[in-house]
Amino acid sequence: MSRLEAKKPSLCESEPLTSERVRAALSVLKGIVTSCYGPSGRLKQLHNGLGGYVRTTSQSWALLSNLSVTHPVLKILTASVQNQAACFGDCGLFTAILCCNLIENVQRLALTPAAVIRLNKHLLSLCTDYLKSEACGCRIPVDFSSSRILLCLVRSILTSKPACMLTRNEIDHISALILRAFLLTIPEHTEEHIILGKTMIVPLKGQRVKDSVVLPGILIEMSEIQFARLLPFKKADVLKVALFGMSLSGDFSDTGEGTVMVSRGVSLENAVLDQLLRLGRQLVSDHVDLVLCQKVIHPSLKQFLSTHRVIAIDRVGGTLMEPLSKVTGTQPIGSLDSVSPNSYGSVKNVCPAQFGFKHFLHLIPNEVSICSLLLCNRNDTAWDELKLTCQTALHVLQSTIKEPWVLLGGGCTETHLAAYIRHKTHTEPESLLSDEGCTQTDLELIAEAFCSALESLAGSLEHDGGETLTDMKYGHCWSVQAGSPAVVSWADLLSQCGCGLHNSQEELSWSFLKSTRHPIAPDTCLPQTATDSAGSLTVDCLTAKLGGLQVAVETANLILDLSYIIEDKN
Amino acid sequence: MVMAYRVINTRRHVGLQQLSSLAETGRTFLGPVKASKFVVDEQCHESVLISSTVRLLESLDLSSAVGQLLNEAVQAQNSTYRTGTSTLLFLVGAWSHAVEECLHIGVPIPIIVSVMAEGLNSCCEEVVSLQVPVHNIFDHMDNTKTFSGIETFSISLSPFLQVPADTGLVQEKHDLKGVACQSPSIYNLSEAPVKSPKFFKTQAKVEDDEGKSQVLKDRLLAHTCCRKSVLIHSRHFNRTDHQWTHKPDGSVEDGASTPKAYRCEGLIELAAGLSHGDHSSMKLVEAALRLQFQNACMQRDNPTVPFMFDISRIFTCCLPGLPETFSCICPGYITLVSVSTTTVIKALQNQPVRLVLIEGDLTENYRHVGFNKSANIKTVLDSVKLQEDSSEELWINHVLQVLIQFDVNLLLVQGKVSEQLIEKCIHNKRLVIGSVNVKVMQAFAEAAGAVQVAYLTQVNEDCVGEGVSVTFWSSPVDIVDGSNRMAVVLKTEGINLVTAVLTSPVTAQMQAKEDRFWTCAYRLYYALKEEKVFLGGGAVEFLCLSHLQILAEQSLKKGNHAWSGCLINTSSWLASSLPIYRPTVLKCLASGWHKYLSTLVYNSANYSSQLEASSFIQHHLQNARDSGSPSSYVLNEYSKLNSGIFNSGVSNKLEQIPRVYDIVTPKIEAWRRALDLVLLVLQSDSEIITGLGHTQINPQELEGFLFL
Repeated sequence: MSRLEAKKPSLCESEPLTSERVRAALSVLKGIVTSCYGPSGRLKQLHNGLGGYVRTTSQSWALLSNLSVTHPVLKILTASVQNQAACFGDCGLFTAILCCNLIENVQRLALTPAAVIRLNKHLLSLCTDYLKSEACGCRIPVDFSSSRILLCLVRSILTSKPACMLTRNEIDHISALILRAFLLTIPEHTEEHIILGKTMIVPLKGQRVKDSVVLPGILIEMSEIQFARLLPFKKADVLKVALFGMSLSGDFSDTGEGTVMVSRGVSLENAVLDQLLRLGRQLVSDHVDLVLCQKVIHPSLKQFLSTHRVIAIDRVGGTLMEPLSKVTGTQPIGSLDSVSPNSYGSVKNVCPAQFGFKHFLHLIPNEVSICSLLLCNRNDTAWDELKLTCQTALHVLQSTIKEPWVLLGGGCTETHLAAYIRHKTHTEPESLLSDEGCTQTDLELIAEAFCSALESLAGSLEHDGGETLTDMKYGHCWSVQAGSPAVVSWADLLSQCGCGLHNSQEELSWSFLKSTRHPIAPDTCLPQTATDSAGSLTVDCLTAKLGGLQVAVETANLILDLSYIIEDKN
Repeated sequence: MVMAYRVINTRRHVGLQQLSSLAETGRTFLGPVKASKFVVDEQCHESVLISSTVRLLESLDLSSAVGQLLNEAVQAQNSTYRTGTSTLLFLVGAWSHAVEECLHIGVPIPIIVSVMAEGLNSCCEEVVSLQVPVHNIFDHMDNTKTFSGIETFSISLSPFLQVPADTGLVQEKHDLKGVACQSPSIYNLSEAPVKSPKFFKTQAKVEDDEGKSQVLKDRLLAHTCCRKSVLIHSRHFNRTDHQWTHKPDGSVEDGASTPKAYRCEGLIELAAGLSHGDHSSMKLVEAALRLQFQNACMQRDNPTVPFMFDISRIFTCCLPGLPETFSCICPGYITLVSVSTTTVIKALQNQPVRLVLIEGDLTENYRHVGFNKSANIKTVLDSVKLQEDSSEELWINHVLQVLIQFDVNLLLVQGKVSEQLIEKCIHNKRLVIGSVNVKVMQAFAEAAGAVQVAYLTQVNEDCVGEGVSVTFWSSPVDIVDGSNRMAVVLKTEGINLVTAVLTSPVTAQMQAKEDRFWTCAYRLYYALKEEKVFLGGGAVEFLCLSHLQILAEQSLKKGNHAWSGCLINTSSWLASSLPIYRPTVLKCLASGWHKYLSTLVYNSANYSSQLEASSFIQHHLQNARDSGSPSSYVLNEYSKLNSGIFNSGVSNKLEQIPRVYDIVTPKIEAWRRALDLVLLVLQSDSEIITGLGHTQINPQELEGFLFL
């Protein structure tokens, strides 16, 4: 007898943004992301409350993938920020904060969502056009013939994640390693399309950060016993490699449903083992020197291979399969029947290597575009943070090849952009108000909301009660201790702008970000020092920030456009 | 699923408070004289005796986020270096307290972080001047070996001759008394007045003095060796020149950075200096090292390969219930086997035995890791043949056949062994030992020429090892422990394997004794590996303390801007206000060292209160400052054995005081880890608890949580 249960009615919520609950949740989320932002951002301890692993982090990816949010509005927001971070690698917090700021600022205005959305889109394209144009005053071209800007970029990323727990020397060391790893992934011989290689990050926790190294080729971790058996190691010239993507452990392939009846005296295990040993004989007669297997190799097969001086390494793992097949030029063998001489590849050399307490087989391929970054940090939580940061940095360096510019960091791009938009909407409003029925007042209100969202984003870099200023010439971002007397000469109190390009002795004038001021036309020519001085600059990835800007505005538009949420409660 | 979010530092930093209160529990573990703790489980009324940080944290409730992070830091230090955890724990407490002070005064967090990190860096650079090179240790060892010969060694290592009989007996008597009651006669033994009624403290003293006299004897021995060594070396021309350059004073001039170039002369001095009061454990470690060295000298083909102390080839075998004097070091592998194997061992005793090494379990159903058994395969009988044997019996018979075929009498198995098989093997005069460590297997593989296999079917002539001897470990008491097990020695010619037999009359102390042995072993290991040690006894920490004070004063006077570079984010206003806060933060960092040193002095029981100890440190600090150069003050004081600082509290007989040494990298890493943890917690402002509903949080605790 089946029992039917009446369906529950769907739940419909109108104007979700007006509800107190959503507003409160949004402001908590904004508080979380804002407090994490920048080099002095505060860390969050993520754990399950039951004594599990504690992740200390200030990275959007780690934070948002662990947050379990319930309300659809928040889900939209976190999902699009995570998407952004996955695509561009960086600027996740930037996106999240900007989106929250935009929603918050616009809510205060009594405008229809339609008008807001339309104008926001105009402002967004104004920004992106400016950032992509030659006249842009907050971007620096990347000179690939020197390491300076690239190092600045990597260092800016590393310093913005305090949970990595790096000292200055360690930051320099890791920056150099990341840059070297990136350079190793660029193939030496290129045709029309450059296909970048890959950096494999190999964990070595508990060791000093300074012990981290970059090696060309691939490191395959192995047990100490396997390692001991390799020694004394005989160096060969070029080794023939067979790569197996299947298990060679001697178990039977899935028999599916039902039972297989085997008569007594017949051993399936032995039958499979015979098959494996046949494979072994074939490998030996084909003069294979190195057998790599993603999964387990049967001990008897291993014994057989080692008596014939074939190195057999098993349990290589799924993540290494693709790079291994790439560097050795093999097709991973997927079944025992398909082993043919053309499925073998080769490597230039292999050698055993030991780092810390771990043992590796170091594969040096003929053509190197894959490298291994052996990453050390003192404890698990700092290592996890460092790994994520290194991945971000590598990702950002790769996007820099496509768009060889960097944006000024430290809040300067944001304040500069805000100054530019203010100036544009003030001087040429008609170009933005071309078609629809928006008034100039509407435009001014929205532009103010947009600009203050950008400016308070720059202000979010401050976590210790400082205040943010902007100068009236370049529109850069400056910070000052709270409660500084207004009469003193700013030039003495301030030292450098956020990105480090300008110093306070340049006869500038300043005003607080919060105060109302007359729109200025920010100076759009970069000083010569930007491209060649030895000083360290704080810079951001152009691609990631541009992407973040777009995602933030579009997500804010989407959320502002919501008028009903219909939930199926069944 | 709902996520909770809690702000943890509104006004007072809860995380830091938790850290300092957790760390407070480990205060008594600092220094050479450790007070043990009883940890009592209220639910099952079990209690554990604890005298190390790692064991303490194992029995504390660390489910809070900060507790977890602390545990993680201590475990990471322990698994990498096996030492320095007490220092780490104490400094975590001291520095989190210091950081709280800074917060209270209103120093911005980024400034605390950068000044403290840079301050510690500067300290680490400063203390390089207190490093002592450890070279040529093994040249002396070489002499000893050629001089005393192998026979003398094995005799002196046997449990009965290790300590002169009278002293051994005395000690044993007192140990027993200590267990039975705290008799007043114990107090008479220690020369220093002991305030604490805890008998473990007293006992530590007894051990110390005893160890020292032993050290002296050994030193005499070594001395005579050195004199003869010239003659001996003249026969080895390949090494003579090398030796001669060092001979005049027995070691090389090195470490020119120190005003009085300190040297650590010989293993005995090094070991005594690194023992930190635990001479009995260190003596065992030293003996193990000598054995390994001897072995290496006999084995190695080319003498250019330097000898390395291989700590992974040392094992411990704990025999609770026996008096301490039976602790000793033996070549080969010693393990406990069931008494039922007595006859087998007797039969195997006087002949070389052939062995097989099995990785994994030795049971019928065992398959190698990664082998998936299909569930749906059934064996059917096609004929009505009667099934005489079960499959297990068939398997056992097969195993025995293999053993007989290859004439194998000894099986070492890494995993479990089928009980039935063990019995069958005993009947067939074959010994099977399970749960053998991987390293032991490896050592036998090397020395006996065996190859490890996963299944017995893999065995062929090449896999079988030869020439293993099996004997009883000679102990006066036949049955060793309550579970009817006895110790057996397995060894073979030239095996690189040493077992430390650890005994203790008090079962509760067994664990602590083993831990202490390993602590000493790792200390010596790192000293030899790094070829340098620190001057110990708090000298390094003292120099850090006075260095930081000088730094703080300098920056107060000059307000120099050179340091603002230490802030990672130089453009912020924080960079310009850094000089204002710098002296304060440096002083707070220094206060951590101050607390560390005064606790060290207080724990070593020369001062009755923490305050007295603190003013003692203050006094020396003032002297150091007045002298102008703290590092040379430290070196001077260190060379004065009776100065009271750096050598305090270990013994009262001046001429017997060995220098105290400390290991370098593990110590500095412990500092770094401690500070990293404190700064990590300092920079955290909230806890995010994932996957937790409203209902799962205690209503009283609900306050302060926000839900998304």
